[in-house]
Amino acid sequence: MEQQLKVDFENYVKTSKLSSKNIELKRVNFNHFLEKGFPNKRDENWKFSDLNHIISKNIKKLSFYNDFLKSEQVDESIFINNLEHNKLVFVNGKLEKKEFNHEENNKVEIIEDFNLLNEKININSLTSLNNAFTDKHYNLVVKKNYTLKKPLVIYNITNEDVTSKNLNLRFNILLEENSSLKIIDFLDDKSKNNFLNTYYKYEIKKNSILKNYKIDRKFNSNIKYFYNNINQETNSLSEIFILSLGSYFIKNEINCSLNGKYASAFINGIISLKNFQHHEIKTNINHLAESTKSYQLIKSVLDNESKAVFQGKIFADSKAQKTDGYQLSKAILLSNNTEFNAKPELEIYADDVKCSHGSASGNLNENSIFYLMTRGLNYQEAKNLLINGFLLDVIEKITDSEIKKIIKNIMGFKE
Amino acid sequence: MLKIKNLKANINKKLILDGFNLEIKPGEIHAIMGPNGSGKSTLSNILSGKKGYEISGQITFENQNLFDLEVEERAHKGIFLAFQYPLEIPGVNTNIFLKTSVNAIRKAKGETELDAIEFLKLVKKKANELKFDQEKLSRQLNVGFSGGEKKKNEILQMSILDPKLCILDETDSGLDIDALKIVANGVNALRKKNNAFLIITHYQRLLNYIKPDFVHVLMNGKLIKSGGPGLALELEKKGYENLN
Amino acid sequence: MKESYNKSLTEKEVENLKNYKYGFSTDIEEVRAPKGLNEEVIKFISKIKKEPEWMLNFRLKAFERFKKLKEPNWQKPKYPKINYQDLYYYSAPKSMKDKPKDINDLDPKLLETYKKLGIPLQEQKRLNGIAVDAVFDSVSVATTFKEELTKKGIIFCSISEAIQKHPELVKKYLGTVIPLTDHFFATLNSAVFTDGSFVYIPEGIRCPMELSTYFRINASDTGQFERTLIIADKGSYVSYLEGCTAPMRDENQLHAANVELIALDDAEIKYSTVQNWYPGDENGKGGIYNFVTKRGLCKGNNSKISWTQVETGSAITWKYPSCILKGDNSIGEFYSIAITNNYQKADTGTKMIHLGKNTKSKIISKGISAGNSDMVYRGLVDVSSKAENAKNYTQCDSLLMGNKCGAHTVPYIKNKNSDSNIAHEATTSKISEEQLHYCQQRGLNSEEAVGLIVNGFCKEVLQQLPMEFAVEAQKLVGISLEGSVG
Repeated sequence: MEQQLKVDFENYVKTSKLSSKNIELKRVNFNHFLEKGFPNKRDENWKFSDLNHIISKNIKKLSFYNDFLKSEQVDESIFINNLEHNKLVFVNGKLEKKEFNHEENNKVEIIEDFNLLNEKININSLTSLNNAFTDKHYNLVVKKNYTLKKPLVIYNITNEDVTSKNLNLRFNILLEENSSLKIIDFLDDKSKNNFLNTYYKYEIKKNSILKNYKIDRKFNSNIKYFYNNINQETNSLSEIFILSLGSYFIKNEINCSLNGKYASAFINGIISLKNFQHHEIKTNINHLAESTKSYQLIKSVLDNESKAVFQGKIFADSKAQKTDGYQLSKAILLSNNTEFNAKPELEIYADDVKCSHGSASGNLNENSIFYLMTRGLNYQEAKNLLINGFLLDVIEKITDSEIKKIIKNIMGFKE
Repeated sequence: MLKIKNLKANINKKLILDGFNLEIKPGEIHAIMGPNGSGKSTLSNILSGKKGYEISGQITFENQNLFDLEVEERAHKGIFLAFQYPLEIPGVNTNIFLKTSVNAIRKAKGETELDAIEFLKLVKKKANELKFDQEKLSRQLNVGFSGGEKKKNEILQMSILDPKLCILDETDSGLDIDALKIVANGVNALRKKNNAFLIITHYQRLLNYIKPDFVHVLMNGKLIKSGGPGLALELEKKGYENLN
Repeated sequence: MKESYNKSLTEKEVENLKNYKYGFSTDIEEVRAPKGLNEEVIKFISKIKKEPEWMLNFRLKAFERFKKLKEPNWQKPKYPKINYQDLYYYSAPKSMKDKPKDINDLDPKLLETYKKLGIPLQEQKRLNGIAVDAVFDSVSVATTFKEELTKKGIIFCSISEAIQKHPELVKKYLGTVIPLTDHFFATLNSAVFTDGSFVYIPEGIRCPMELSTYFRINASDTGQFERTLIIADKGSYVSYLEGCTAPMRDENQLHAANVELIALDDAEIKYSTVQNWYPGDENGKGGIYNFVTKRGLCKGNNSKISWTQVETGSAITWKYPSCILKGDNSIGEFYSIAITNNYQKADTGTKMIHLGKNTKSKIISKGISAGNSDMVYRGLVDVSSKAENAKNYTQCDSLLMGNKCGAHTVPYIKNKNSDSNIAHEATTSKISEEQLHYCQQRGLNSEEAVGLIVNGFCKEVLQQLPMEFAVEAQKLVGISLEGSVG
């Protein structure tokens, strides 16, 4: 792999139009990845999901070079019906369509930025890989006091002809003061056995609201890492919802810093898996200011040989008095070959806080199944009803009613 | 026994008590009545020594400056507050809590501490008088107690500790008529020449069972009217708004 | 009074002594192994203990392995590098070279030491209902109630004695729960352990009294590496207690014990620890490094192992008393109170490994941090795919006093079985002003009030301790937090 990496990187540098300073920065990132490689289980963060092993087992001859000049057709049939929305369509990692028909002029900007920001490089080896190979950053800015009238759907599509490739995407989202934005990340894969590495960075300024729904629903054999870095100012709010169903492997990692008073973060997620799927959600909530709040609820349903992991950490700095942190993860294991691993973690340095976490895993309650069966349901129906009931309260946490409806549809829930 | 002169109290810059005056002599029962937000609970909090208030004025208890005394020292001297909302303390056995409390006060008074047998005898006697279910005493303090049980537990503590000045902060709220009678009987039984009661209440009904010597009306942080037991009945009829 | 033991006490030390009442040292003539760690020292230890060859080989094998191991550093409390060549690995009172047969023949200084610790060894004074094995630095100095226990077939003696008198049992079980190759400190212990207790409860016997070991580190520059092995044969029961203290010294001392428990079919072992090693002074100087490996194997069906610990001492505590639930229907329990104050650090918790069917485990952990201290609960619940119908319940609560201290909860939960049930709850809180005010209003001063509330917070664990120790532990909980209320 190392040989391929070096060849692809040099090839990329040669064909790119980057400044020498940028190339230098990319080289620093590249060398960091070269040195660290894909993370493995010796890394505490990847203890339950050995990415190096997963990639080498499932992707033969991974290559890193992508031709960004080539244009791709957009398959519009996958667009979400019954929802008026703005669109950004990425095909194989490249922006192919941009549509903000519902918004006022100059209130939302998309800037394609070829300059690597001079930011902290060593978050982890995968963000370094991302920095080394993305040809540009996409910057989305929502202007002061503006609330988008319709949600923005970011379609991230891969085509049939892509295989054994590493695709990287980098997105920076800035919500200026008093602004508000809803994003749906809609993943759709026709490709096989690729490694998709996405890095979102959010800056949420004073009094602003971000809602982000991440939907990975279509069954596919890709391996994905979705890193989200969120910085929140005073009185801002973030709501993240993760629907983790489709990919062979996906790890959603959220690092959220509540830097200003009264900032709050809500993270809710559903992992529902079968066959040999393996999904992970990892969160890291840093309470760094007074009176900040976080709430997390993650539920998993596992069948066949699947595996789910939840690692969640609440950190409260000694300055963060009156922190309110809550976290709950629950899992239902339907088959004997499934595995659920959890590491709910609290690290608290302030005494006037209210922090708790809980985790529970087990099978469905046989008494409940029995009760439903005495009311006429068959075993499978009874089970499904209980599973839906188990997952429904996560979906009910979604605060946007239109989007809630769409997600219920995807899950096959009746209203 | 208790003298309050020109008491003013602020919390978060908000004036709650504004020139409050009161004198209580041994053997007397005083009732303070007032609508919500008139400063009733602030008064009991300040007398018991709760922190967080900006205070001016003077309070003496048996000729000693009350502000010189810590919360527990006031208890040692014989000031007892029956809380409006008695706290639940998980894991702490009620009996053990009571014994610790009794002996802390005895020790401060220079009396010998009660041993387990003497203590249990005392508790048994008092619990019987108050018709308090003794089984509850082996439970965790106030945890899982009903509102009435919590209030009775407060009165039980009062009778065991035998204080000089008993402050009852809205003890009647949330009590049914039977519980109310038990609480009132408990208070009446405790009445002596050398102790005194300050009953803080919103309604007159407790005063049907405990005969006060004086009734005061508290509004906007000061006493606007004082009188005999008749004042309470007048209040009940006319309401706070139409007084005068 | 203390001066008769050590005339060189400074005023400050005297002041400290008031806070840590076990901080005196005993001026006694010691026999020591040469400083440092090498094959010669291990042979010296084995020789002085008159060990058979298989025992020496066990040690040497462990030492070979040890040389290849690296010191772990994943724990949260970091400590300065320990120079393992700069320690004494064996230290014993000279008078113990030939262990006296009768307790009354013991060096009076030793008797006096234990008396001061509240553990009288002489017959007429000894504790009712508790048999004590007293370990002083590297050797066991006395074991009480031996005859009564022997009548029932119970073996309770020092491990050195067991190696000589009951080699078949020691050989069969030693190193079966904590293998020679386990990890750095456990392997070091296997190479250089000096003494400790051995318990064997024969089939069907319910041990009529509490068995207890009292550990005392006295000598300076000494590592204490004791080894305890407890075997409960089919259908037997034993309750075992362990207490620890050490003198106050400015340097840090290493205590790296191995404790192995084995419960066969229908047997139950209850193991309680009240750990009050010297924690260092209020500035974090000195104190014991308590790096201990404790592991129990529920080997038989329907067996049960229960750990209860009250950890108030040591500069650094780093231990995870664990249960391997191999037998079907076996039960593992872990009840823990850990209190850190000043600059103390603790990284403690448990591992519950569910292998058998219908196995159950319960974890109740109460952590209290005050001052500048740091506390970590770290635990693992691992349910294998064969452990049908396994159940675990975990509750970890932390109490913080002030905002210079930290509480860290790190549970690892691995579930590979769909018929299992794992539940974990954790909270972090503080003592509320209202609770304090309420207690103070009833005449308690703030320290008494805190003591009362903290004891309430720890109640579920304190209840697990045998009566005599529960009272002691309750007091300890209060004392450990002294000066932490502002």
